[in-house]
Amino acid sequence: MTPRVRASLEWVAVHAFAVAATLFFVLPFVFVALTALMTDQQSLSRDLWPNPFQWHNLVDVWQTPGFGTWWRNTLVYAAAGTVLTVVSSVPVAYALAHFRFRGRRLAMMMVIATMMLPPQVVIIPMYLVWAKQLHLSGTLWPLIIPLAFGDAYSIFLLRQFLVTVPREYLDAAKVDGAGELQVLLRVVLPMIKPAIAAVALFQFFYCWNDYFGPQIYTSENPGAWTLSYGLGTFKSAHHTNWNLTMAATLLVMAPVIALFFMAQRAFIEGVTLTGVKG
Amino acid sequence: MPLTGSRDRTSSFLDQRVLDVSARRRETLRNLAFLSPWLLGTGLFFLYPLASTAYFSFTHYNGFGTATWDGLDNWRFVFADYPFFWPALRNTLWLVVVMVTLRVVAGLAIGMLVIRIKRGAGLLRTLFYAPFLAPPVAGTLAFVFLLNPGTGPVNTILGRLGLGEPGWFNDPAWSKPALTLLALWGVGDLMVIFMAALLDVPKEQYEAAELDGAGSVSRFRFVTLPHLRPILGFAVITGVIATMQYYTQPLIAGQVASGQIGGSGQQVEPGYPAKSTLTLPQLVYNLGFQRFDIGAACVIALVLFALSMAFAAALMRRDSVFLGGDG
Amino acid sequence: MTRTPRRRLLAAIAVLSLPLAVGACTGDSGGGKTDNPDADVTITFWHGWSADSEVAAIQATIDAFEKDNPNIHVKVVGGITDDKINQALRAGGPQAPDVVSSFTTDNVGQFCSSGAFADLSSFMADSGVDPAATFPSAQLSYTQYDGNQCALPLLSDAYGLYYNKDAFAAAGIDGPPKTMSEFDADAVKLTKTSGDSYSQLGFMPTYHGYESSISHLAAQWSPTYFTADGKSNVAADPMFAQAMEWQKGLVDKLGGYAKLEKYRNTFGDEWGAKNPFMTGQVAMAIDGEWRAGMIQADAPDLDFGVAPFPVPDDQADTYGKGYITGTIVGIASTSQKQNAAWRFVKYLTTDTDAVVNFANAIHNVPSTIDALASPDVSQDEAMQTFIAIASNPASNTTPASPNGGAYQLTLQDVGYAYESGKDSDLKAALTKAAEQIDTDIAQAQ
Repeated sequence: MTPRVRASLEWVAVHAFAVAATLFFVLPFVFVALTALMTDQQSLSRDLWPNPFQWHNLVDVWQTPGFGTWWRNTLVYAAAGTVLTVVSSVPVAYALAHFRFRGRRLAMMMVIATMMLPPQVVIIPMYLVWAKQLHLSGTLWPLIIPLAFGDAYSIFLLRQFLVTVPREYLDAAKVDGAGELQVLLRVVLPMIKPAIAAVALFQFFYCWNDYFGPQIYTSENPGAWTLSYGLGTFKSAHHTNWNLTMAATLLVMAPVIALFFMAQRAFIEGVTLTGVKG
Repeated sequence: MPLTGSRDRTSSFLDQRVLDVSARRRETLRNLAFLSPWLLGTGLFFLYPLASTAYFSFTHYNGFGTATWDGLDNWRFVFADYPFFWPALRNTLWLVVVMVTLRVVAGLAIGMLVIRIKRGAGLLRTLFYAPFLAPPVAGTLAFVFLLNPGTGPVNTILGRLGLGEPGWFNDPAWSKPALTLLALWGVGDLMVIFMAALLDVPKEQYEAAELDGAGSVSRFRFVTLPHLRPILGFAVITGVIATMQYYTQPLIAGQVASGQIGGSGQQVEPGYPAKSTLTLPQLVYNLGFQRFDIGAACVIALVLFALSMAFAAALMRRDSVFLGGDG
Repeated sequence: MTRTPRRRLLAAIAVLSLPLAVGACTGDSGGGKTDNPDADVTITFWHGWSADSEVAAIQATIDAFEKDNPNIHVKVVGGITDDKINQALRAGGPQAPDVVSSFTTDNVGQFCSSGAFADLSSFMADSGVDPAATFPSAQLSYTQYDGNQCALPLLSDAYGLYYNKDAFAAAGIDGPPKTMSEFDADAVKLTKTSGDSYSQLGFMPTYHGYESSISHLAAQWSPTYFTADGKSNVAADPMFAQAMEWQKGLVDKLGGYAKLEKYRNTFGDEWGAKNPFMTGQVAMAIDGEWRAGMIQADAPDLDFGVAPFPVPDDQADTYGKGYITGTIVGIASTSQKQNAAWRFVKYLTTDTDAVVNFANAIHNVPSTIDALASPDVSQDEAMQTFIAIASNPASNTTPASPNGGAYQLTLQDVGYAYESGKDSDLKAALTKAAEQIDTDIAQAQ
């Protein structure tokens, strides 16, 4: 086989694989969108193409009682959770990266251990405290308040980024008479903007997608449901068939995917950070 | 590791000695102040509930009244008599072996693919990454519909092609493969990590290997793989840990596919079909929040804890970078 | 690294978490019947109804109650499932419900034995309600556990056979089958295959075929779930094996498990307008009395009939019975307003007009002796059939158990393995299930 034949065979193989992969990643979205526009009857058949296109499915789902509330709750949870996580995690990550103290290694190990901890491990005592002692089940508080105490994953990511900030910058600022807090706010924060953006995005997505937390803490009060939890109950609670269920699915997926297209770079950088620097 | 706070090391030891005591105290206070959110958080949301979980695991407690000491009864029940425990553990093992492996292989393959594409690589990367961000509930609902044996598009197409039509989420033999497809759909995170690592491999090494007459297989084998080793390890272990926490997807898939989505008055069977999608976190929910057998639920939680920490320890041991960076 | 600081850190954390640990040990603040029901008070009522017409019907009942009792205001939360009820009753607190209703009787055993629901006996005695003279005995039995009447029936449900009259005529069948062998023959006659699927199925026998669960079907055999001393009887009572063998036989006659399950996946939502009986995908179905109302609303052109579900051939003389269950209502023991809550519960469950109107509005069977005899009860033919099933002395239900419906799930598991052909040794599977049920109940106590 001549090198040229080989090269073109390789080109064909690579591009065939690329087409197959593209179909695999894209077709699910396409079928979800198509089904979301079908009639009841069609969504229970083997048809692949809507006929007629029933655009008002999307409007119907949007107007389902509760959908607006779920949206608002999800936004509150994700926004408050993100802000609190960043504010509480940055100083901890900074201390772990640049302060020298006894037990630092132990602290780092604890951060990693918490990061790896399945939420189900501690959920029962946590639920008992929130529900039986504080009577806050059925609200978003049990989901939001813990995020004011630093999130292990965010601390870890920020710290990985912070150790790459050269000491000389910090020392130079300190020579000018700045305290640690000032150094952090004036010198370090501007330098780690990409990492903060990545952490904020990850946390936002985590809250937006979280199902377990809302299931445990908000399920008893439909007024506190989030989109993920509401969507999980959508099919049974509203006795809908696949068309409306897929329309709801589409409406829950759309904002996150849109956000991703807008903030793509920060994302990809963040993911790369988790893997390569880790 | 130095035992005290950072100091100007050029200063004379004796001059600094008096200053040191108060400086060190100030430093300790400063350290505590910076760490306080995390210290409080760890105590309140990790150590306390962990100790409490351990305590409850030895008690009989249904959420009313008070817990009564029960010795090892819950442990015996879970390991010997709870019919969901071993299937859940077996499923977890299956997912670790098959799903994690396939995700790593697919992530690497897709990453290598995107790197080789000359035109439109950016668009492909975006398209391949997007499903990773789809909310798990939404992605799972989508796949249960796509793979619906009766009317789903996948079986419709398979049927038109004259191929077999598996029962997917309705067949115990196919439910985990169906979940694996869902997990592969969201392989974008690994793809991006592998792409970054692949771009880090020095070009000269490929060129040198090519000069030595190495084909593409041996170039992959002797140049690419050794460079990827740390990332591969990272991907496998984080994959295993994620599998320990695997909850939303199998739960939603089982509920929706069974047609019994917890409507009032319905008995929801966990792990539909035939316990094939049970995982340990679902058992915590089933025992703790449906049966209110809090003692037994805490036993499962501790098993989950032990397994997760064992893998976390493996990660830290092999990847000292994880802890290091002491500069 | 030296030892001391680490220990100090741990000590600090221990001190921090101490208040919580102590807090967790304090008991619940219990409720009681000390409130003044004539004072102005708001009680919270949780129910499971979610369809618009049902929500409107319960609201009408509540409005009528509030008109009679202007000092008591009822705050309603709908669409609640049993898992949520269970969680909220444990949580207590100001958001917790005072009055709770559940669509299933499965958890009554748990609600009573755990003390989650207050015992209603003293309330009934105080207000002169004689339970035996007010409620039918079956309904009374599924709302109590171990002599503790912690709940009361709020309408009942009876299960029967729905059949498509057009399909029957086309297949040349005169009337509804009365025995299982007639039923099997009709189901086969009514089944039309098309390719590797069906254009019409006589009956969907698989246990996931909506209401065709093992507990609903097995009622036709009148099985005994527990022995007198509370042990599982599923292996000892041959009725369970007979019911499961009959079902498996029908599965095989109609085309086999895989084919039926695939067809099941083309069904619309059970509670929606595309229910397979309403679309004609199946010609016969086992379902509750509410289905008639849904058909009238969503498929008015469907020509259907209702009859008692067939009985086994060797029990032909008991034709007319069926599975019965119902919605139950109770008062949370954490409620601080139990006297006011009782006034509401008493109205919901014993006021003849309230029961009759609500039953008519949501097409359920009334649950008091007076209401059943009331001339105002729907005289609709379908409803009268279900009232007859509910009143049949051989009709039966699934008994309360201290761990809720867990024993039914265990039994269902046997059914799933057997219908799919995964497990063919039914006797061994039932023996194992009986042991499992006993172990689970022991673990729950």
